[in-house]
Amino acid sequence: MIAEYSSLITLIALTAILAYSFYAVLIAGQLSLAQVGLASLAAFTSALVVPSEPLFGFIPPLVIGIVFGMFVGAFAAFILGLPVIRLRGVFLAIATLAFGEMVRIFLINQTWTNGAQGLSFAKLVGPGVAWIALIVVAYWFWRLSGSRLGRAFAAIREDELAATTMGIDVPRYRMASFVIAGAVAGLYGVLLAHFSRFADPNEFSFTAAVDGLVTAVVGGVTLFIGPVLGSAFLSLLPEVQRAIGIDAGWIRPTISGVLLLVVILFLPGGLSGLIPVRKSAKRLNVDPSFQPTLPALPAVGSELVSLSGLGKSYGGVHAVQSVDLTVNAGEVLGLIGPNGAGKTTLVNMVTGLTPPTTGTGNVLGVPLTASTKAHRLAQAGVARTFQQIKLFNRLSALENVLVGGYRITQDTLLRRLFFLPSARRLEREAVAMASAQLVRVGLGEKAANAAGDLSYGDQRRLEIARALASHPSLLVLDEPAAGMNHVEAASLSELIRSLAADGIAVLVIEHNVRMMLATCDRIMVLNFGEIIAFGEPSEIARDPRVLEAYLGSAGSDEDVEAASVLASETLAHVVDDRAAEHPEHDGAAAADDATTPEENR
Amino acid sequence: MQLFLDGIFLGSIYALFAIGFTLVFGILDRLNLAHAAVFTAGALVGIEIVTVFGVPIWLLIPIVLVIGAILGIAIERIAFRPLAGRHDAHFAGLISSIAFGAIILSLLQALYGADTRRFPADAFPTTRVEIFGATVSLLQVVILIISVSLMVVLTWLVAKSKLGRGMRTIAENPHAAAVLGLNVGRISSTTFALSSALGAVAGVLFTLNVNAASLGVGHAVELKALAVIIVGGMGSLPGALVGGLILGLAEVLAVNYIGSSWRDMVAFGLLFLILILRPQGLFGARKTREV
Repeated sequence: MIAEYSSLITLIALTAILAYSFYAVLIAGQLSLAQVGLASLAAFTSALVVPSEPLFGFIPPLVIGIVFGMFVGAFAAFILGLPVIRLRGVFLAIATLAFGEMVRIFLINQTWTNGAQGLSFAKLVGPGVAWIALIVVAYWFWRLSGSRLGRAFAAIREDELAATTMGIDVPRYRMASFVIAGAVAGLYGVLLAHFSRFADPNEFSFTAAVDGLVTAVVGGVTLFIGPVLGSAFLSLLPEVQRAIGIDAGWIRPTISGVLLLVVILFLPGGLSGLIPVRKSAKRLNVDPSFQPTLPALPAVGSELVSLSGLGKSYGGVHAVQSVDLTVNAGEVLGLIGPNGAGKTTLVNMVTGLTPPTTGTGNVLGVPLTASTKAHRLAQAGVARTFQQIKLFNRLSALENVLVGGYRITQDTLLRRLFFLPSARRLEREAVAMASAQLVRVGLGEKAANAAGDLSYGDQRRLEIARALASHPSLLVLDEPAAGMNHVEAASLSELIRSLAADGIAVLVIEHNVRMMLATCDRIMVLNFGEIIAFGEPSEIARDPRVLEAYLGSAGSDEDVEAASVLASETLAHVVDDRAAEHPEHDGAAAADDATTPEENR
Repeated sequence: MQLFLDGIFLGSIYALFAIGFTLVFGILDRLNLAHAAVFTAGALVGIEIVTVFGVPIWLLIPIVLVIGAILGIAIERIAFRPLAGRHDAHFAGLISSIAFGAIILSLLQALYGADTRRFPADAFPTTRVEIFGATVSLLQVVILIISVSLMVVLTWLVAKSKLGRGMRTIAENPHAAAVLGLNVGRISSTTFALSSALGAVAGVLFTLNVNAASLGVGHAVELKALAVIIVGGMGSLPGALVGGLILGLAEVLAVNYIGSSWRDMVAFGLLFLILILRPQGLFGARKTREV
């Protein structure tokens, strides 16, 4: 019975290993079709080194082949990755496909591979070896999925830009997933050659690559077991058809095609999506005893950001001109101005997403130049939110915040592989820190919800929690109150003040002027890329240039003038309220009726 | 001169296949891997129609156009439309179109078997002409003319017609297009129908040229067509034509000067180089969106 199906059992394991090679890139949001090309490189080069007798009398030849093949696969993937890693989506798929075909044509034209006649290999792989290899690979990916590395891959898959601002070096991690996939492909190549005892380069074709991809996608990438399910399903399908006698000529491919279509159309997560998962990482941990002690923030008042003459122009358009600015630890600095004033461009420069064209700057010890990488700044302690919310939509709220903790957590993959107690402890600490941030922004109840399913206001709060999880020295908030009502905005204002009290420097862009006057220590007003006013809220509220920028040129029109007087009074009122230690919603009924000038526009 | 013309003719078939490919990609941002199966279907069904009913080639082309269009609508309805709005629509679309292609191929196998088939010997006049000292067949000239004129008509269609404006709007933002009252589903279907109609005709012309068609005929051309649309620029119709011609020429020259076993290296080497040096292709202008 077993003997009868031994080759089928072996093939299921080998196909699953190939699918893992695709899985390794898919979990990082990439699509590579080079895997079978890498496998064939590994298989044929291994023929050059695998001895017929055990090395030194005790190292089996297959072990040498596997180690060598995995190295060849990983190394070739690295070389291939150097030029193609910056390509995305379909372009990456086609470039890697081209590479695979080039490998095939190259190998066919070599004498040492025996060309299209093919090469014989020793029979070294049976069901036992294949399944041991599969179990090792599957185990590795299982331990990867909950580790910091695994979370970084998921973050890159969901949103590369947001991942960068968490401190994740995106190109390096994409390369890492490429190299891991290459090593697994090499393993597959060597095992397959030593199982089937014969290989010719044409077996490692485009069709084979597509089959591997199909196996991985049918199995699904949401769970580490996906490739095994995909392989079992697709390998057993023809056997089942044969057993019940419907395998005549065209019927088998038709049924396979229809089933594949059904799986893709109706099971979005692949077969592994059918398995209910219990994720311990989804549970909050609010036990304060698990909170680690974090390194202290810079002393209140120390200079964190200094910009001098910083500017950015696109062609002839000066988005930001010559900004001089210092931001100190523990202060809330507001940035206001009409739409298109250059506020977001300025904070993009401070967070390293946009290289400045003129001037110099230093953020937390990192100089701002054309080659400054956003992830370097994030690692130095800058965290931010985005005007257009950028969450990792398919991850849970808690997982989003866990990714945010990338900067202050350690990688746990190696520890997890060996189930070291310290892995558990580190994971618990990470969850405890993330939970604390979620609770702080008021999302404790929604920790397990997918970020994409949260309401707009909750998504804004989650972004703040994610940014806070990195224990930042400088927090940049780009329109955090957009879409929030008065009550929500007031509690956000309180949150910002409490962060500043902790010693965090907060740089905040916001259109809600009333909230800004009540929250900020200093406010900078930008218009057309230039600073038109800079000072304490009370000065800003009475500054005629600010009112002009918001309401048009005063004086030419009586209504405008009246409005500007009214607005000026309202704003002054808000500031006075704050000076009197009253939160702005208390006794500001007049201001509520008049609304802020910005809302009037 | 003979080499040059051979390259041009080979390239014009690649171009014809690639135009259909790139049309869908340019408009809908989806790679339709069932295109190769449509190509094969065009070839095999075309042979069947000519053999059984004795239809002349001139009449066959419009018939195959219609068959291709119907297949295209089926592909869009079954393999692509249900995926709309799914986060993994890209991967899933690749796989579902592979599955749909496999179904088409297995049905063709059921109808016509797995053997290689040919057009009847007298299906197309074998007139040969001398141009600049090189011999070309009437067929090759016809293929070239059809490719170029289809490219011109399509470019005009996409750039100027109401349908084309609808296509480009959807390419930019399908959601906004729907809000503006465009029938996104119908325009997508039409795009697929056009694309597949061209793919089916390419199958017939290709088969006439090499006078053999089997189930695997589409796959070989599919890989070349991928190279063509990358070289020409994803979604660019003139790019597909020029890319096809460049590839055809390069292959003919490679066979002549390097050896036929390295021929396919040229296509993929060229593709690889273009992707690294100029990922948007010779004629492409791919926009990237940031913050």
